[in-house]
Amino acid sequence: MARILAVDDSAAMRQMVGVTLKAAGHDVLDASDGDEALELARKFPADLVITDVNMPNMDGLSLVRALRQMPQYRLTPILVLTTEAGPEKKSEGKAAGATGWVVKPFNPERLVAAVGKCLG
Amino acid sequence: MATVLNRLATLGRPAPLPGFERIQRSWEPEHERWSARILPGEYFVTRSDEVVTTVLGSCISACVRDPTVRVGGMNHFMLPEDTTSGRSSWLDPQAGLATRYGSFAMESLINDLLKCGARKERLEVKLFGGGNILSALTDIGARNIEFARSFLRLERLAVSAEDVGDVFPRRVVYFPASGRVLVRRLKSLDRQEIVNEERRHMAKMGERPAGNDVELFD
Repeated sequence: MARILAVDDSAAMRQMVGVTLKAAGHDVLDASDGDEALELARKFPADLVITDVNMPNMDGLSLVRALRQMPQYRLTPILVLTTEAGPEKKSEGKAAGATGWVVKPFNPERLVAAVGKCLG
Repeated sequence: MATVLNRLATLGRPAPLPGFERIQRSWEPEHERWSARILPGEYFVTRSDEVVTTVLGSCISACVRDPTVRVGGMNHFMLPEDTTSGRSSWLDPQAGLATRYGSFAMESLINDLLKCGARKERLEVKLFGGGNILSALTDIGARNIEFARSFLRLERLAVSAEDVGDVFPRRVVYFPASGRVLVRRLKSLDRQEIVNEERRHMAKMGERPAGNDVELFD
C-alpha cells in the first residue's frame, strides 16, 4: 500500500481518482490546487503524486517544479492527469520533471497498473 | 437594405478561440449574429457576442459563462452506455465509464472558460435537454440529467435556469455575452432525425476505449 497525493480543482475528478486508487488498496490524500498540495506534501510524505494541470492559485506544472526542488520529492513518481492532449503541454510537463502523462478521461485499470509500475 | 446590412455584418466574423476552428459557424440573420452549431460530443467557447446553437434529444447541454469577463460556452453530451460494471453510479468504485466521459465533457468546457479568465465562483450555469425521446429504450435523458446535476452539485455550481426532461427534443440558442437562452421544443416531425443522430453518436461512443492510457516518459 502506498500513500498517493491526488491534486485536482474538480471535486468530481478528485472523487473518481480517489475511488479508483483506494479500490486498488492505496491510501489517498487529496488537494484542490498546487498550494494546498505542497503543504500536504511537506506534512505527509507521499510515495506518488497525481496532478491536474489547470488549477487556480498554483497550477500543476508549477507544482511539479516545486516538488522537484524538494530533496524528498526529487525521485518521487509524479503523474500528470489532464484534459490537455497537445504535444507542447506534454513536453512542458516532461521538462518540468513529470514521470508520466495521462489525458482524461482516464482508464482506471491502466491508471492503477501505471501507478503500480511507477512504485516498482 | 436589411440584406445589405446583414451581408456587411458577415464580414466581421469573430476569430474562433484556439481549438475551436473546426466548429461550423454561419451567419444567423434572425439573431443578427454569427452562430456556432455544435453536434453531440462537441463544445464551443467564445468571448465574442455570437450565439451557440444545438439540437438536443436525450443529450444534455450545459450553457456556462462568467458575466464579469464575458466569456461563455456550451457543450453537448450524453453518457455512454456502461456495460463494464452494470449501472454506473456516482460512487462506483471503478469510477464508471459513464461518469468519466460525462465529467470529461463538463470539465473540458469549464477548463476552457477558466483559461479565458473566468472564475469558478462566478460561473452562471444553465441546463437543457435530457428529453425522453427514445421511447423504446430506457430513459437515457433522465440518466443524463441526473449525471449533470450530481456533477454540478459536487462542484458547488448552482443551476440558474433549466429546461430539462419531458418528452421533447429541443433547439437551444445561447447568447454567452448576455446569458440569454432561447429554447424551442420541437415537434414530433423532427424527432426521427434527432433519434438517429443520437443513436449514431451512442454507437460511436461504444467503439471508444474505456479511457486513455498512461504515457510514461523515458
